[in-house]
Parts: sequence; C-alpha cells; structure tokens
Amino acid sequence: MNRSRVRVFSLIALCLTCALPARAQDRPPNLWFQGARLIFEHGVVMSGDLGVSTRDAGLRRFLDRLGATVSYQPQQRYVVITAEDRRTIVFTLGDPSYTVAGVRAQAPFAPLADGDDVVLPFFTLARALYVEPLAQPNEIVLQPRIGALDVRTDAGRTIVTVRGAMPLLITTTGESPERLQLSFTGLGSALAPGRRAAGAAVDTIDVAVGGSTKVPTTTITLEGARGSTHRVLPSGSPDAYAVVFEPGVDAPQVAPTAAPPVVAGRATVTDLTIEPAPDDALAVRVTLSGAASYEWHRLTDNRWYLDLENTTLAGPGRDEHPAFGAVQSVRVRQTGSTDAPAVRIAFTTTGQQRVDLTPSDAGLVIIVATSHPSDLARIGSGRTGGAPVVASAMASPNPNASPSDGSVPPGWKFGTNNGSKVIVIDPGHGGADSGTAHNGVVEKSVTLDIALRLRTVLVAQGWTVRLTRDSDVDPVSSDNLAKMHADGKPNADDRAYLQTRCDVANNLGARLFISIHVNAAPIESAHGTTVYWYKPQDAPFAQAIEKNLIPLAGTQDDGTRHENFYVVRHTSMPAVLIETAFATNPGDVTLLRQPSFLQNVAQGIANGVKAYAGSPSANALSQQQ
Amino acid sequence: MLVVLFVVAVAAAWWFTTRRQQGAVGDTVTVYYAKADGTTLVPWRLSLGPARDRKSVAFYAATQCVAGPPSGTDAVRFPAGTHVAALDVEGSTADVDISKEVASSAEGGFAESAEFKALVWTLTEPKLGIDSVKVRIGGKRVATLRGGHLELDEPLSRSSF
Repeated sequence: MNRSRVRVFSLIALCLTCALPARAQDRPPNLWFQGARLIFEHGVVMSGDLGVSTRDAGLRRFLDRLGATVSYQPQQRYVVITAEDRRTIVFTLGDPSYTVAGVRAQAPFAPLADGDDVVLPFFTLARALYVEPLAQPNEIVLQPRIGALDVRTDAGRTIVTVRGAMPLLITTTGESPERLQLSFTGLGSALAPGRRAAGAAVDTIDVAVGGSTKVPTTTITLEGARGSTHRVLPSGSPDAYAVVFEPGVDAPQVAPTAAPPVVAGRATVTDLTIEPAPDDALAVRVTLSGAASYEWHRLTDNRWYLDLENTTLAGPGRDEHPAFGAVQSVRVRQTGSTDAPAVRIAFTTTGQQRVDLTPSDAGLVIIVATSHPSDLARIGSGRTGGAPVVASAMASPNPNASPSDGSVPPGWKFGTNNGSKVIVIDPGHGGADSGTAHNGVVEKSVTLDIALRLRTVLVAQGWTVRLTRDSDVDPVSSDNLAKMHADGKPNADDRAYLQTRCDVANNLGARLFISIHVNAAPIESAHGTTVYWYKPQDAPFAQAIEKNLIPLAGTQDDGTRHENFYVVRHTSMPAVLIETAFATNPGDVTLLRQPSFLQNVAQGIANGVKAYAGSPSANALSQQQ
Repeated sequence: MLVVLFVVAVAAAWWFTTRRQQGAVGDTVTVYYAKADGTTLVPWRLSLGPARDRKSVAFYAATQCVAGPPSGTDAVRFPAGTHVAALDVEGSTADVDISKEVASSAEGGFAESAEFKALVWTLTEPKLGIDSVKVRIGGKRVATLRGGHLELDEPLSRSSF
C-alpha cells in the first residue's frame, strides 16, 4: 500500500515538475567557469537549480574540461555521468534522488526526458563533480575544488591522496623530509582547515584557501612524524596527487604478518594446474609437498568436492570456469581451522560425471570425464603424496627434452600430427600497425626480431619455417579482402588482415602456429609472460611453451590462458599467441631492450616446440606409421 | 463510469507489470571488475535506482563496469574516457556500444581480455537473462581492438574467456 502511495505521489510530482519549465520565469544566471563565461543553449531555472540538456554544447564543454562523460540513450531511464576519477553520478528519469559513487542524495528536481534528450539539474551535477556554484553579484562563479583528501595508514606508512575537480596545477612551496607544503592553483576547497592523523607517519594536515573566488589557491601542509621521509607516488590520474610518508627508523615497527608455521606432518599444495585431457575430459594436477589423506563427496546437485586433510594451500584460492569438458566451474579454497587446515577442490559439472583419482608420490591427478559414472557412490577416501616437492612435476628446463621424457605426457597430444615439417611464425603487427608502443618499445619491431631469431633456431632443428611477414609490413591477401567484403559482414578489412596470417598456416597444412606479441597494461605493475590458446588442442602446446620459455626468459610466469584471440581461433593446427613481456613495466622493458633476452625467448619457444612435437623427422615417421 | 473503470484497470495492469519486473531483477545488480592479475574477477554488488526494467538495468550495469570500481582499488580498468554510448537487449543477446576511447591506444592481450571479460560477465549475470554480448566500438563493428587480439565481431559469452 505504501508503495502504491509513493508511486502516485511520484507521478503527481513528476507531472508538476514537467510543467515547471514552461512556467519558469527566472532568467538563467550568468555563469563564470575557468576564466570565461559558460553559456548554455537552453538553461532553465527550476526549483533553485538550473535545468540543462545533456546535448547542450555548453554542458559538453564543461564536462570535457573536467574529463567527465555522459552515458544516456533514449528509452533508458538511467543517466550515468562518469567523473575523471571514475566516480559515477547516476540520475534516474522521473526520480529526484541520485547517487554519487553509490551514496544517495536528493536533487531539487527529477531529470526530465526531452525528446531523445534528458534535462539534468546542472548545479547538483557540478557539485558532484567537485565544482561549487558560488553566488556573486550578477553572476555565479563555478569554482573547481579539491574534493577529497584521503589519508590511509598501511603498515606504519601514511598515504595521502588529494583529488581535485580537474587536472592539478601543483607548486611545492615548502619541503623537507618531514614536511611538505603544496599549493593547488585554480582550486578552492571546503575541506576542514586542520586535522590530526595521530599514530601514523603524518602528524597534522593543514588546509588554507587563498586567492579570489575566480582564481583560488588551496595550500595543503603535511607535517610528518619526527624522522619520517616522504616520496610522491604515481596517482594514475591528472586530477589526483598521492604522497607516502614513511616512518623514521626510531618509530615503533609494525610486525610483519607472520608466515604460516611449518608443522611436521602437514602437507602443502605447492602447485595446481587445470588442463584439458583426452576425450574432452578435464584434469586437475595437484602437487603436494608431502603425504595427505583425502575424502571426496558427490552431492546430488552436480557438485563434487575433495578435501585434502591437514593440508595448506600455497597461494590464494582459485575460481576457474573451463571452456571445455563437462565442468562448469572449479573452486580451490583453504578451509578448516588453523589447527586442522584442509584444502578443498570443488567442481560444478553439467551432470553426474565420472571422476577418476590417481594418487602418486607427487600428489594427485583428478580427471573429470564427460561420461557418466558406472556407480554413483557418494563418498570415498584415500591417501596420496609422500615425496618432497618433486622437481619433475614443476618441469625443469631441458633443452633436450623429447615428447617421451615426461615434460609433456604423450597422451596429452591433441593436435593431429599431420606429418608436416612446417612451422608458421607470426610476428604480431607490422607496417602501419605498430601494435603497442611504450617506453621506447615498439611491438612490431620486437616481434619481428624474435621471429627471425626463432626461425634460425627452428631451421637448425630441421623444421621448415614460414613467417607471416619477414619485414615491416602488415600482410593482407587481395583474395581475403574480396572474400571478407563479399560475405557481408562488417569490418571486412580488419578480418582480412588477420585471416591472411591464419591462412599462411592453414594453406600450408602447417604442424604448428606461433604468434609473437608484446603485452601492455593500464597498470604498471603487470609484468611477465603469458601463453594464450583457444582450441582444446592448443592447450598442451601452450603448456609446453610456457614450461620451456619461462626458465630461459627469466620473466614472471603468468601462465597459460584460454582467450578468444583471432589468430589462435582461426588456425586449424595447434596454435599459441605468446605475450612475451610487458612494454608498460619498467623491469620487462629493460629485458625487451636486450638482444640476449630476445634470443633467450626465441630459444625458449624452440625448446617448447621440441618438447611438444619432438623433431621434424619424428613427426614424419609418426605420419608414416 | 466505464472510462473511470478502464483507467483504473490500465493503471492496475501497469502497476502489477512493473512490480513483477522489479521483483525479477531485485534491488541490486552484480558488476565485475578484473583484479590487477588480469584474470581474477571480483563481483561488486550495486544498489539499483527505481528503474528495474531489464534494458535499463543492463545499461546501468555496463556503465558501472566500464567506469570500474572506486579509485584506489587495484583493478584493470578501461582506458580513461571510455563510456557506454548505448546498449540494446534483444532476446538473450545484449548489443553494447562502447566509446572509441577504448581503442585509443593499442594495448596487449592482458588489458583487452581483462576489460572485456569483466564486461561480459557483468552483462551475463543470470538475473539479466543475457547469454551473449555483441560489441560495437564508436558505433561500428570491429574485428578486434587495435591490439589485434580479442575477436569482437562475433558475440562474446562467458565461455569465450
């Protein structure tokens, strides 16, 4: 009943509000923003706010200056404005309440649909974007402000982050190791003038505002604890500034988090891989540091789990959603108590699947088949492990590895051995397409360099090698262009370029396809090597490359990943796309600039090829048999 | 009198229909973001405003996913300025138009996959009834992003990642 009342009142309110613009007699005020008049095409004074259309060029200019964007489309009821610092301001048509970063507030009027457009309460929106409308004689000054000053203490360090309405213009007006004074030109503030941050590496923070209403300056003074030092942190946004204060050597030290105690008789899961197995099955290989008892349970709702008793998990839990076999999800978790820890491995399957367990000295292999079990036992138990961490389970680099030496189990070869001696190498990008370019690393050049080195090594092994390009070009076949345009799908050109690379391998009936790339990320900390695959038959090839490449490259092992990448999807033989290292990480960039690293990458990939496919003569022999 | 009865009947039908829609979607929507490792997705539950129809909720969820979690959260984010320009839902397929900023620079497979995995998982939350996601960039269908890795001219689903 209450709901219906609210609904009726809302409707009446909406109708009345809709009628307001027609009756609004107040002339829109003169607005001053950042040294110039801000002029709207149609601004209407409504309930003490200013109604402005989201398509208004003046509003667009205002938002552009702040780095904010609007998401709205007709027939949608939500209007979402994303600020430069990724806070979202969400309005709903017909509802005066709105949210700023999830916190609900009330606007003077509800946003109104106006044809294909929507009228928003401008002053409300400006305040949410840290711009304060300040009434002055004959005009309103829109004053950008410092909107937030976050103080966070972590392990004795204090991190102070200042966020403004727009890119910060900062002057350091006073600095010593223990003290930092910063002036923010053009920004006002409504922050409290002073605050204490007791118990951390910063003692006090003072805020003072000077200058004029139109050109304000905010000065923030940070007084660190005695003996502290500070350094500026990358903030990731021009609107933000971050500095960390480290405590002095005399400051009380925060004890580091204690490592889990080593308990005699307790095993640890040191590695766990989830891989495709023959007949569309899924294999989970668990490596244990010692012996452990386990108990498994089959539930009635297509769930199955196994608990390794008195066992800890090295590293975080995992949630995987394999794109093959009958397993919808795999969860690995540390469970139990401190005194009696357990590691649980749980599957959700599409039906009642057969699960086979193979205990060994190294740990346990769990195979989830696509077929149904011969009996539906609900519970079972066993014991596994017993040897210390087995090096062979971690696949040590062995340049002389052969398919039968255990680094890749022979039964795991999915790719049809077509007897071909041809391997196609695809140096990513080329020509007008430079790929990623950061810190002086240009992807198309690095990929070609590695590809040429790899060709030399593989030819020496006896393979016939073809490159999709051997110079700075982006290859495309005219046939592909015509075909892609004829099939009526959009973006024919893009697909033709990528398909041309795939066709080099497909048309030759190549044994393997190797695409070489350089990674990039919006976060600097991301680094390492990843081997991507798409088709189930790619997976063991990707694992062989990973296990042989990482030790030689010396990069972080980011694992093998299943992804919908074009060239691995549209090639008909086992294929991988190798992201060798990150052009956005300083450590990886240092490596990418070294010819010795590029050579090691080439050698590591070649070792992976040998571990997976053996020698070309073995392939030919296998085909004859 | 008949007119009054007719108006009441229409109002009641509208009220019940809207109420059923709200009940189906609930008060919150789950949005995902990718952690800094580029693989792990973190669910993030957001309260909904009064609009609860499927298309509006999907649009809202997509915009929040592209905006990403609050600053300071360790996450792989869409490039600055990227926003959702439009989103339509037809049957069990969403068609989302992302602004061209997403392709403003060539990124590696790491960023492409983390960003779109989060978006696809957000839009295929079971309560939205969406199984697959078609993507446009700046209003156009593209084969891949500039990085040239992730295939975008066919619908993406959770099994694509």
